[in-house]
Amino acid sequence: MAPALAHVVLISSLSREYTDGVNEFEIEAQTLYDVIRVLDRRYPGLGEHLEDQTSVAIDGEIYEVGYYHRLRPGCEIYFIPKIEGG
Amino acid sequence: MAKHHVSATLNGNAVEYLCETGQTLLEVLRDELQLTGTKEGCGTGDCGACSVTVDGRLVCSCLVLGVEAQGKKIETIEGMAEGASLHPLQRKFLEHAALQCGVCTPGILIAARALLARNPDPTEEEVRFWLAGNLCRCTGYNKIIDAVLDAAREMRGN
Amino acid sequence: MDAKTIKQEEVLKVVGTRPVRPDGVPKVTGLARYGADFALPGMLWGDILRSPHAHARIRGIDTSKARALPGVKAVITSADFPEQKYEFLGPERVAINFWHMTRNIMAREKVLYEGHAVAAVAAINKAVASEALRLIEVDYEPLPHVIDVDAAMQPDAPLLFEDMITRGVEPAPARPSNVSKRIEFKLGDTEAGFAAADEIVELSFKTAPVHQGYIEPHGCLARFDADGQGEIWASSQGHFVVRAYTARLLDMNIGDVLVHPAEIGGGFGGKTVVYIEPVAALLSRKTGHPVKIVMSREDVFKATGPTSGSSMTVKIGVKKNGKIVAADGVFKFQAGAFPGSPVMNATMCGFAPYDIPNVRSVGYDVVCNRPKSAAYRAPGSPISAYAVESTMDAVAARIGLDPLQFRLMNAAKAGTQTAWGPKHAHDGYAETVKALLDHPAYAAPLAKNQGRGVASGFWFNNGGESSATVHITEDGSVAVATGSMDIGGSRASMAMMAAETLGVAYDQVRAIVADTASIGYTHVTGGSRVTFATGIAVVEACNKVIDELCARAAMIWNVGKGEVVWEQGCARFSGQDSGKFEPLSLKAIAAKRAVTGGPIGAEVSVNAGGAAPGFASELCDVEVDPETGSVKILRFIVAQDVGRAIHPSYVEGQMQGGVVQGIGWALNEEYIYDAAGHLLNAGFLDYRVPVASDLPMIEAVLVEVPNPNHPFGVKGAGEANIVPSMAAVANAVANAIGRRLTELPMSPPKVLAAIDSGRRG
Repeated sequence: MAPALAHVVLISSLSREYTDGVNEFEIEAQTLYDVIRVLDRRYPGLGEHLEDQTSVAIDGEIYEVGYYHRLRPGCEIYFIPKIEGG
Repeated sequence: MAKHHVSATLNGNAVEYLCETGQTLLEVLRDELQLTGTKEGCGTGDCGACSVTVDGRLVCSCLVLGVEAQGKKIETIEGMAEGASLHPLQRKFLEHAALQCGVCTPGILIAARALLARNPDPTEEEVRFWLAGNLCRCTGYNKIIDAVLDAAREMRGN
Repeated sequence: MDAKTIKQEEVLKVVGTRPVRPDGVPKVTGLARYGADFALPGMLWGDILRSPHAHARIRGIDTSKARALPGVKAVITSADFPEQKYEFLGPERVAINFWHMTRNIMAREKVLYEGHAVAAVAAINKAVASEALRLIEVDYEPLPHVIDVDAAMQPDAPLLFEDMITRGVEPAPARPSNVSKRIEFKLGDTEAGFAAADEIVELSFKTAPVHQGYIEPHGCLARFDADGQGEIWASSQGHFVVRAYTARLLDMNIGDVLVHPAEIGGGFGGKTVVYIEPVAALLSRKTGHPVKIVMSREDVFKATGPTSGSSMTVKIGVKKNGKIVAADGVFKFQAGAFPGSPVMNATMCGFAPYDIPNVRSVGYDVVCNRPKSAAYRAPGSPISAYAVESTMDAVAARIGLDPLQFRLMNAAKAGTQTAWGPKHAHDGYAETVKALLDHPAYAAPLAKNQGRGVASGFWFNNGGESSATVHITEDGSVAVATGSMDIGGSRASMAMMAAETLGVAYDQVRAIVADTASIGYTHVTGGSRVTFATGIAVVEACNKVIDELCARAAMIWNVGKGEVVWEQGCARFSGQDSGKFEPLSLKAIAAKRAVTGGPIGAEVSVNAGGAAPGFASELCDVEVDPETGSVKILRFIVAQDVGRAIHPSYVEGQMQGGVVQGIGWALNEEYIYDAAGHLLNAGFLDYRVPVASDLPMIEAVLVEVPNPNHPFGVKGAGEANIVPSMAAVANAVANAIGRRLTELPMSPPKVLAAIDSGRRG
């Protein structure tokens, strides 16, 4: 059975500071929790940064970062800087 | 320096207060008489949020001294309704959603009432120019104008 | 969060109507209480001493004479505030850094703008407080200053921070500068894209900083007790944020601070931050008395955050048939005294309405000697939209295409790739353009000296954390409370959504705003998030209550819970022989609440996601007086996709209000400084916002493409409307006079100069 892979992109330069500039990943994950933990294991500290300072677009829909988001195989995930309005 | 003792009529009632020479009528209303319905938006007579009438004349209360009210009739937003009955302008403002944050509303209601007292059938342009001294930052003025014209219609009995 | 089905098949009974707001009567009778309207016995007046210099080192502050003045109860400086760790936290646009924030509240090593707070006093009345400020001696060493964004980026510009190294640049610069950050978003290959273009237009623009212009100055009352607990009454767009920031800045536990939501007299983003609340709190703690601080209008202009002034260059390349093949934008924004302009939003929003295969969007966040910028309605987006939409217009003219058809041809829709990463998940943009194309005004003839302009814009709209409670009272009325400050009528829409969900009359539901101790965390009223996110919390709380009401009905009837449904405001028996039981209303169930388990209510907290962005397209007709350069707005139409309008009057009001702010930004508003960096127009006389006589009726066209992520299809409506407005006016003026102004505001002297140069050239 093919693994449930999510295509993950970090678009903020601050995020890429943790990863030495690498910004695209294929990560086996069923929830956003899985994605964050995989990234944090590879780049310690990135997990907290993503949780506190980014929002996430999952297949284009923008959400606050939450462990509970379920992912479909092949979904596109972009961690974007948190947007605040006025 | 000793304060001044002032006697006046406020919203139909006799009132007395003490004030410093330099205190404005706006400060007296808000800080001495606890009538905070009249708002300070600028303190320099440019925004109209402090509009009241003194002897029937529309003024910015931030440009009137407390002592100048001696013997005069002051009308503020707190006296606009007839007891528990809202003035038609107040009702129409609510119906037309002519307020969002509401901070300019007391000044605009007082100003609009003063307009309709002297001109019961104003055109849209006349309303706009009369209210040019009352700033609103939320509504873009649309629904305020609608409400004033609608209240005028009702008050004329149309 | 699961997608919700929108009740499109059912007829909505309350949503979409225009009832009177529940908080309306106090507002028209002068009884509603705003931040400056509170008082407590024994209250002291606080006042703040502000820097007369645009940039200076503080060598020392002598408060002894002020302390000795009879009637003065406390004098504080930054020495009384705990130091904060230097660390960027939270949303990248704002880049909250408490090391910066505490210095903005009260200057430490340097003053960085005229008006920067340096000390504060609490005294028995306003006059003594003022006198005390005059007795505080500050030893300043004035420094050279810089304000304009281009000037601040020059290599020899005076530096605000000697150690500021630009972030986002690889490798990091060797020398410090005033550039706090560089941001870049890229899609495809713009070099190749421009090489393939048939026509390219490149224009540069400048905009002046503008203030949100809320009519109510900041005001608060703080009461802090000897046991370390405190209360604040503040007009703010986020009382939970006031609580959090005040606690942090004073090194207190968040739970020891209670903030009451006063009514708020306008914010537009400018009241999502704190200025006076921590100062009042500290003065209260030191004196043991309540302390009230109200800013003057002059201080509001000199010391609170406006939005950025900017310097921008936009380049767009198209094929002859109108297809955009490449776009490039460079956006330089003033952050003010501390980092955190909305330039990142601007870089992301500018090209967002369009389907463009190759895009580069670059932003610079630049500090300078003026107040730290604060959010202003779709922060950043109106500024980049002015540049992009003006350029779009120039491109359409170059290739001879109708400007609306040109936009429609390149319109983004669900599935279109954005320049900053994900694909758009929502439609709505094209519908706003079509609304204008279909409008009879688009074909209306124009006379001499008149011109028509169109423009579009995009704004994200926020979701986030919101909390709501719904309780059924003993007689079956419904009490709704949320944590969202009501800045424009949201109590009405909360009550409407609750009434619709419960199936009861609007007047049976009352909605209030609860204080920070009475309800769960709720993020700011801003970012067009309340009807969306707090609305979701309200509806979910109602659904929980419905569930409970059905369980109580089942108990009353002694049947299984599965045999009870909630329909049209009543619990109904859905089992065999359904006529067996009379439906039970809220009132009937409430009467039996005690025997069925106690009071009936629910609280729901959400972290709402799936907020769809806002698109707007606008049409503006102007007439320019060739003798004076004065611009008169003849007509203005705003078409905005709002998803679904819960209360159409308040949605129209948001659209009309945003447009008028944009008109002021386009034509008159700007900060004017002298050579020493002093603000010359710190008042409403010379900082000229639109007045009633400047304007025609603004026509609001509600486009509704429902958002499946909200129970009623809501998309945030408060902000997107300001985004296209300056460009719509600028494009209209360009068409009226035959020359394009590329600087805002387009005040009469500038328009006249453009007309005159056109006559000469």
